[in-house]
Amino acid sequence: MSSFTKSAQQWATFARSWYLIDARMQPPGKIATMCAIRLQGKHKPIYHALSDVGDHVVVMNSRHIAFSGNKWEQKMYSSHTQVHSSSIFLFFLQIVKLAVYGMLPRNLSRRTMMQRLHLFPEDDLPEDILLNLTEELPQPREIPRRLNEYSQEEREAFPTLWTP
Amino acid sequence: MAARCVLGSIWTSLSGVKSVASSSNMSVFQSITNYPQLSVFGIIQSRGIRQVVEKKEGKTTIIEGLTQDTPTGPQPPNPTAQCPIYRWNLQNKYNYTDVLLLSQFIRSDGGMLPRRVTGLCAQEHRKIAICVQMAHRAGLLPDHKPPLPEGHVPKKPKPQLNRYLTRWSIDSVKPIYRAGLKWCKNRISVGHPALRNNVQYGKKILYLKH
Repeated sequence: MSSFTKSAQQWATFARSWYLIDARMQPPGKIATMCAIRLQGKHKPIYHALSDVGDHVVVMNSRHIAFSGNKWEQKMYSSHTQVHSSSIFLFFLQIVKLAVYGMLPRNLSRRTMMQRLHLFPEDDLPEDILLNLTEELPQPREIPRRLNEYSQEEREAFPTLWTP
Repeated sequence: MAARCVLGSIWTSLSGVKSVASSSNMSVFQSITNYPQLSVFGIIQSRGIRQVVEKKEGKTTIIEGLTQDTPTGPQPPNPTAQCPIYRWNLQNKYNYTDVLLLSQFIRSDGGMLPRRVTGLCAQEHRKIAICVQMAHRAGLLPDHKPPLPEGHVPKKPKPQLNRYLTRWSIDSVKPIYRAGLKWCKNRISVGHPALRNNVQYGKKILYLKH
């Protein structure tokens, strides 16, 4: 803002913010693109690859990610051996982590950006991270409602297409 | 549909007369045909929702279906079509998320109702069946599961994996060990090609291969 002092404005521009993403029922690829953009700092007009302008991103509920199609069965992740998507239970964190790692630029700052990514399987976040959070980002995918989540009025308001 | 609501009163009166006649005849297996024979081509023949009522008169038991008065709801914009989806102009507009629509064509255990009962045309019946399958796999129809046999002990709790737009059944798909390079990649199929003509609001194209 123009009413701030120059030093305050500089501080506000270059401060590193903490973003929160809820990954419940979200595709991990879309979560990873959002994370990668913010970890690099590409969402800021002051971006430059050499000036360290990336922010922190906290991903919660990463155990509840949703894959479209049959990716849980078909997608394979490879290290020295090949690992099935749904084989290891603690693999959910790795899925998001590998996705973000693959989307970051292949330079030395990738590791520092990965250090600024914080993944949590459930929504219980530690105190110090909760205090740091500034903004929650909107979810990329609209979660569809189950049939029992519709109220009785909504069900009655929906017209019956056919009668027996 | 407009003609149907006009004749609704006639149908209820007809059904009342016929049910009285059948109860006095005291024959259990009397078929009640309720729809009036009209000369207008393309009228939707619907027999009305019946409620099964059992009556005991001495040694005879009478089980009959009494027609219930269905309140006339909103009228479809295109009443002179055969298929209910074309009547309501929903041809390319529904998806697996429209559970309120899909639940009208399924049984309580999750299976589809036959085409001759619902009156759907072949293509729409297939599309609805595909959407119902996808909705089941996404977990959007939790109350329409098939009943488990009594004494069924679940072996191991399966890991609850969230999924959506699954084309193939879960056990039928094998992992892709060799995906290939970018120009010859073995893509994973998402959604279904039957829903290819769905209306896309916005500039995004529907991707069927990821």
